[in-house]
Amino acid sequence: MKRKLEKIYMAFIVFLLYAPILTLVVLSFNSSRTRAKWGGFTLDWYRALFANKDIMNALYTTLVIALLSAAAATLIGTAASVGISSMKARTRTVFMGVTNIPMLNGEIVMGISLMLLFIIGRIELGFGTILLAHITFNLPYVILSVMPKMKQTSRATYEAALDLGASPLYAFWKVTFPDIMPGVVSGFLLSFTMSLDDFVITYFTKGPGIDTLPTKIYSEVRKGIKPEMYSLSTILFVTVLLLLLLVNFGPSSKPSPEEAKRKQRLGSRRVHRFHKVPRIVFGRVLPVLMAVVVVGGGIYYGHMNLASGSNQVIVYNWGEYIDPEVLDMFEEETGIHVVYEEFETNEIMYPKIQSGAIAYDLVCPSDYMIQKMLQNDLLQPLNFDNIPNAENIGDVYYEKSRQFDPDNQYSIPYCWGTVGILYNSSMVDEPIDSWKVLWDTRYKDSILMQDSVRDAFGVALKTLGYSLNSTSIHELTQARDLLIQQKPLVQAYVIDQVRDKMIGNEAAIGVIYSGEAIYTQSENSDLVYVVPEEGSNMWIDSWVMPKNAPNKENAEKFLNFLCRPDIALMNFEYITYSTPNEAARELIEDPEIRNSEIAFPDDSILGRCETFTYLGEDADEVYNQLWREVKSN
Amino acid sequence: MSNKLINLENITKIFDGVTVLDNLNLYIRENEFLTLLGPSGCGKTTTLRILGGFENPDEGRVLFDGRDITKLPPNKRQLNTVFQKYALFTHMTIAENIAFGLKIKGKSKAYIDDKIKYALKLVNLEGYENRSPALLSGGQQQRIAIARAIVNEPKVLLLDEPLGALDLKLRQDMQYELIRLKNELGITFVYVTHDQEEALTMSDTIVVMNQGYIQQIGTPEDIYNEPQNAFVADFIGDSNIIDGLMLQDRLVEILGAKFPCVDEGFGVRQPVDVVIRPEDIDLVKPEEGTITGRVTHLIFKGVHYEMEVAANGYTWLVHSTDMCPVGEEVGIHVDPFDIQIMNKPESEDEEASVIEE
Amino acid sequence: MKNNMRKWLAAPYSVWAAGFIIIPLFVILYYAFTTEDTAGLTLANFSYVLTKENLKALGLSLWLSLVSTVICLLLAYPLAMILTSRNVSQTSFIVLIFILPMWMNSLLRTLAWQTLLEKNGVINSILSFLHLPALNIINTSGAIVLGMVYNFLPFMVLPLYNILLKIDKDVINAARDLGANSVQTFFRILLPLSMPGIVSGITMVFIPALTTFVISDLLGGSKILLIGNVIEQEFKQTNNWNAGSALSMILMVFIVLSMFVMNKYDKEGEGTIF
Repeated sequence: MKRKLEKIYMAFIVFLLYAPILTLVVLSFNSSRTRAKWGGFTLDWYRALFANKDIMNALYTTLVIALLSAAAATLIGTAASVGISSMKARTRTVFMGVTNIPMLNGEIVMGISLMLLFIIGRIELGFGTILLAHITFNLPYVILSVMPKMKQTSRATYEAALDLGASPLYAFWKVTFPDIMPGVVSGFLLSFTMSLDDFVITYFTKGPGIDTLPTKIYSEVRKGIKPEMYSLSTILFVTVLLLLLLVNFGPSSKPSPEEAKRKQRLGSRRVHRFHKVPRIVFGRVLPVLMAVVVVGGGIYYGHMNLASGSNQVIVYNWGEYIDPEVLDMFEEETGIHVVYEEFETNEIMYPKIQSGAIAYDLVCPSDYMIQKMLQNDLLQPLNFDNIPNAENIGDVYYEKSRQFDPDNQYSIPYCWGTVGILYNSSMVDEPIDSWKVLWDTRYKDSILMQDSVRDAFGVALKTLGYSLNSTSIHELTQARDLLIQQKPLVQAYVIDQVRDKMIGNEAAIGVIYSGEAIYTQSENSDLVYVVPEEGSNMWIDSWVMPKNAPNKENAEKFLNFLCRPDIALMNFEYITYSTPNEAARELIEDPEIRNSEIAFPDDSILGRCETFTYLGEDADEVYNQLWREVKSN
Repeated sequence: MSNKLINLENITKIFDGVTVLDNLNLYIRENEFLTLLGPSGCGKTTTLRILGGFENPDEGRVLFDGRDITKLPPNKRQLNTVFQKYALFTHMTIAENIAFGLKIKGKSKAYIDDKIKYALKLVNLEGYENRSPALLSGGQQQRIAIARAIVNEPKVLLLDEPLGALDLKLRQDMQYELIRLKNELGITFVYVTHDQEEALTMSDTIVVMNQGYIQQIGTPEDIYNEPQNAFVADFIGDSNIIDGLMLQDRLVEILGAKFPCVDEGFGVRQPVDVVIRPEDIDLVKPEEGTITGRVTHLIFKGVHYEMEVAANGYTWLVHSTDMCPVGEEVGIHVDPFDIQIMNKPESEDEEASVIEE
Repeated sequence: MKNNMRKWLAAPYSVWAAGFIIIPLFVILYYAFTTEDTAGLTLANFSYVLTKENLKALGLSLWLSLVSTVICLLLAYPLAMILTSRNVSQTSFIVLIFILPMWMNSLLRTLAWQTLLEKNGVINSILSFLHLPALNIINTSGAIVLGMVYNFLPFMVLPLYNILLKIDKDVINAARDLGANSVQTFFRILLPLSMPGIVSGITMVFIPALTTFVISDLLGGSKILLIGNVIEQEFKQTNNWNAGSALSMILMVFIVLSMFVMNKYDKEGEGTIF
């Protein structure tokens, strides 16, 4: 009975631990791109995985950093353990206290402190800083694994070796070291694992164009994880599982009958065999793995550096905002390497540009943010002579751009659209044409709201009949109260996840960018997009060049390439956001899309839309403060 | 002696397919000092753990005062155990350790305090109340473990190799201490050890065990003088165990020579094991011995000399207060009543092939 | 190697620890007590961040991580006891079962809970198939607690398992032998003896739970702000490093407090996860 209960309990815990893993494995075979829908069984993502340069790059980076940092930490940490254990008790306590700091400090504090250090020390954020950070947080794991072993080693055997004529170094190597070896091995493995899985510290210490798997995954969260990622994690997980099964049930680790009998005689005494496992992994499997990855990674990075070196362009764009093939084509045509990085919101992008810690060549912010960057003198004018294709952009969009770029000197429109309501016609009672539906208690827990300050306040201000660019404290407080009032009805504040959730029938109503609406409709025909009658936001995302852009000429070439009609069309078809490129629009074959009201709304709709403008630092602060009050309410 | 307090009936215990106890039957009398003696893995500790309630037998039952206690949990048994590695509660003081069982029983504070004083006095550790067990020596910890057990006034005290971790001198002191305690308290002791000397010194009854079987039960004198098989003979003290042939009653042939003995009833021309204790061999002039040999080794052991004599293809172990130098030719004589004849074991299980000590 | 020579082996680590552990903390300190506009030390950042909203986020973080820690402890203790009671050949494999999930990316695993917990997610589909009421915890504090428990449970199980493994079985037997029933044995013997493991487990769960911004981000639907989210936003969105540093300092006060508690109960460093 008791045994049975124990088994049931264990099964429960194992289920808890493995249910998500099973989910991921299942998703890796899902032919639908969105996780919200099961579209049938497929192996496509496994094929696509190896063709996906982004993910493979991230995988290499992750493995190389994990191996190098674990190796370095093991070396420094083991030496340190030997040193520390021969110190006086008081010094030892101090050292162990310091060693505990990274373990106890919380990853976020650790990540922030290192980021600030690197920025103050003018160390460029990138591969090197990630590696330094990883070695730092791996060191405690090594030391805390080796120190207990150090304590257990007997001084006598070491002295016996000396007595038998061994030199101190030889005696240490042949006598003491084998004793602490299990600790060293588990320290290494622990570091490797921790480094592999670290997100927070990497997130704060990484630079442009470099991603480890966890940061790559995090940046994909908003848009929906690429299914290739599921197949990669499935492969990694199954590999480790097989390795462990091999080690555990392989012939070498099975105790001989005599050993079993001896153990049995020892009765209740338990032998902790945990170290036995890593030893075999360490002895046979890991060195091979290590060699493969380091050599492979080394060649790969050598290749990358050769290719990039001076001839590159560093691009900072919204997530999922370009067809990856376009990047390949550009690299192929020009031989210029594209270092590509993504951001989720304007607010996340801005500080990176402002701090100048990372020098980007091209950034693609929204209207009001461009205005802010201009006011803070972060941008340089573009040389349109070198970007002849910029003429393909419709005049109307340049005209609209004058709101934030009065002389059209600094920006080239890339995408545009409106903000509106996407609703599921099967889940609402009547057609929707007003923002007010977002406060309708019938739809409690079925409403998805935008998780960015300006968009959220824009909705509230428009509902109240005010301007989206209001700076009146009175109006803004009203908007805040309205948003607080709305909060209990909101299922979640989201950015791009609204897409998956609407497709999966998770919510009835969502605030969404028009570009996303086209894609969601193709996946779920019940979805309808409207720009509410109270008016809304019409936005433009444009390419700009930061003042400190290091590769100006390459950036111009890249811009010119993007403005080519065929390329703009590729991007439009991939990202489904409205293109301002008139020539590209002409090339759209499907008349339904070419004349889609969602993608290319007419003036009656645009007439009631406003564009965001930058409101100044003080107003920004007010907005942020009020938004915090909403969020923490 | 008095009546049977504990009865072990047909006890079988199997761990992972290995039979540790095989149909064991044993009774323990009230107020006796009974020792389970045997090499490690012989099942003696398992027997004790079954008594204590820490293991359940796969077959058979345990009777205590006539009542079946086989399934009774340890906390309901009128037995207390002194564990091999003392098993003191390191997070408590010594007084708290001793008071543990009494507090559980809900005794009054005054009673408990009294008992602590009494117990500490009994084990010669007065004034140690507030110390931590971790800071005591092995012998002191041992005595605390005993004190902790006896304050509960158990009917039976189970001791699992309690002196195993102590050095020789301390062990001897503790042996006397245990005998004294047993006499003062008047309770039954069941003692587990692999040390034959310890067993001989302290016990009223010795149970020699090997490979899950009881080999012999008897008083120390019986066990030493009349071992029932070669295993017992070899395990208890030093012995010469030689293949012999029982020619007829009271006459055995050893290594080709005829020795008169006192044993009867083994049949005619039956192979037997012959046990002769080294101190029972008299070294005499060559012409006076039953057989002759030559001294090959000589060691002074304090009380006596230990010699090895090669005779008729066998190396005889001899203890004697008289010294014969190496190389000397001697005769070997054994008095008939010093020759112990035993049947050859019928199965291998009954006797250990290897003795691990 | 002679002892005094051996000591020097710790030299590279000393330099490293000073450079990448100690100094960065002072950098945070520096940022927390200065602002971009004014020269000299100032408490302005603290008065700026000590708003009702931030205190609420801090309070919520403390509360949720406390709840998660307690749940982890309650789940892990019986588990560790079961694990230690298994025989040798099984144990190492079973322990591996609990470590194995760590080899799959934790962000993905946490995200997978979205798919499991959603309104029309896997769990609710199963529940509705069984005609049971739906479980609506996605985007609530409940989901965040679940995420914390899920992510940090192994860090509770391992120290408990290791400390229970070290406790001599006969000590438990001795208590039983002296008349204690299983409940008494648990509270008077097992629990006090496993204290170092418990304390270490608590710190290993409480601190990451207190400082997380990822779990609340992934499972809270951005409706719930924890102190970690506030700090992350100050650095990555609002771009106010000084305010972010001040918040980190406040957070560190609680971390130091837990460190203090841990040192008090686990002087020997017995409760380790290794």
